[in-house]
Amino acid sequence: MLSVDDQLSMALLVRNDLEMTPGKVAVQCAHAAVDCSLQARKIIPQIFEMWRNTGSRKICLAALDEEDILYWKEKCNEVGLVHSLVRDAGRTEVPSETITVLGVGPAHKTSLDDLFSNLDLYGVE
Amino acid sequence: MGFRSFLHRMTAPKMTKPVENRPIKLVLVINHSLGMKKGKIAAQVGHASVQTVLSAGSVIPHIVDAWLGQGQKKVCVKATDEQQMNDLFSKASQANIHTSKTIDAGHTQIPKGSYTVLAIGPWYEAEIDEITGHLSLL
Repeated sequence: MLSVDDQLSMALLVRNDLEMTPGKVAVQCAHAAVDCSLQARKIIPQIFEMWRNTGSRKICLAALDEEDILYWKEKCNEVGLVHSLVRDAGRTEVPSETITVLGVGPAHKTSLDDLFSNLDLYGVE
Repeated sequence: MGFRSFLHRMTAPKMTKPVENRPIKLVLVINHSLGMKKGKIAAQVGHASVQTVLSAGSVIPHIVDAWLGQGQKKVCVKATDEQQMNDLFSKASQANIHTSKTIDAGHTQIPKGSYTVLAIGPWYEAEIDEITGHLSLL
């Protein structure tokens, strides 16, 4: 059994200021999850496999707005975490090129928790 | 197998079927009877998408690559219950369309073993629409 320190997870930061239907949010998160997974499989294959084998944990967090998301993207760059910024093609609901979700990881759950400790879970009012 | 034929096989170009120039999409069917919250739904759809991309990647890599190149179109629709998800699964299987089921580990919100999402595709949009076209968007 893995200790808590070894647990791996992926964080999906969703912009809370956009009015998207649950289906739209789900699809945007899925884009981010697929992108991050494909990147991770290339760059950090061992972490990726371990994450896949331990339930592919994912968590959705609420980001305030575009500025907030870009701030977190910059943080991920600094810390060196795999991440993927989703820009919507704008065929539905939001204008084209709108930034909707930032996917981060898979990475150690503890480092994600440290980084995003002040973000709320998405969808919990 | 002799050494020469082994070498030949190793160096031969991979056999891939040509991809037809038609839109490809991935449909994610949510089990609406579970009453999941939106963050939970998003995570489950994320699981389903990664799972189906990886498994489809080993059976129909040319389709997956084309789909990624087209901007990985995804659509989220809802099924009323597990029974309807099973019907859709049978129809997709009969049509030889790749599917993948997501069963929740039950750490949050819903009981362990709940059947949360059925991913259908990625595959040609027109053929998927024959199976899921009547379902309403989430």
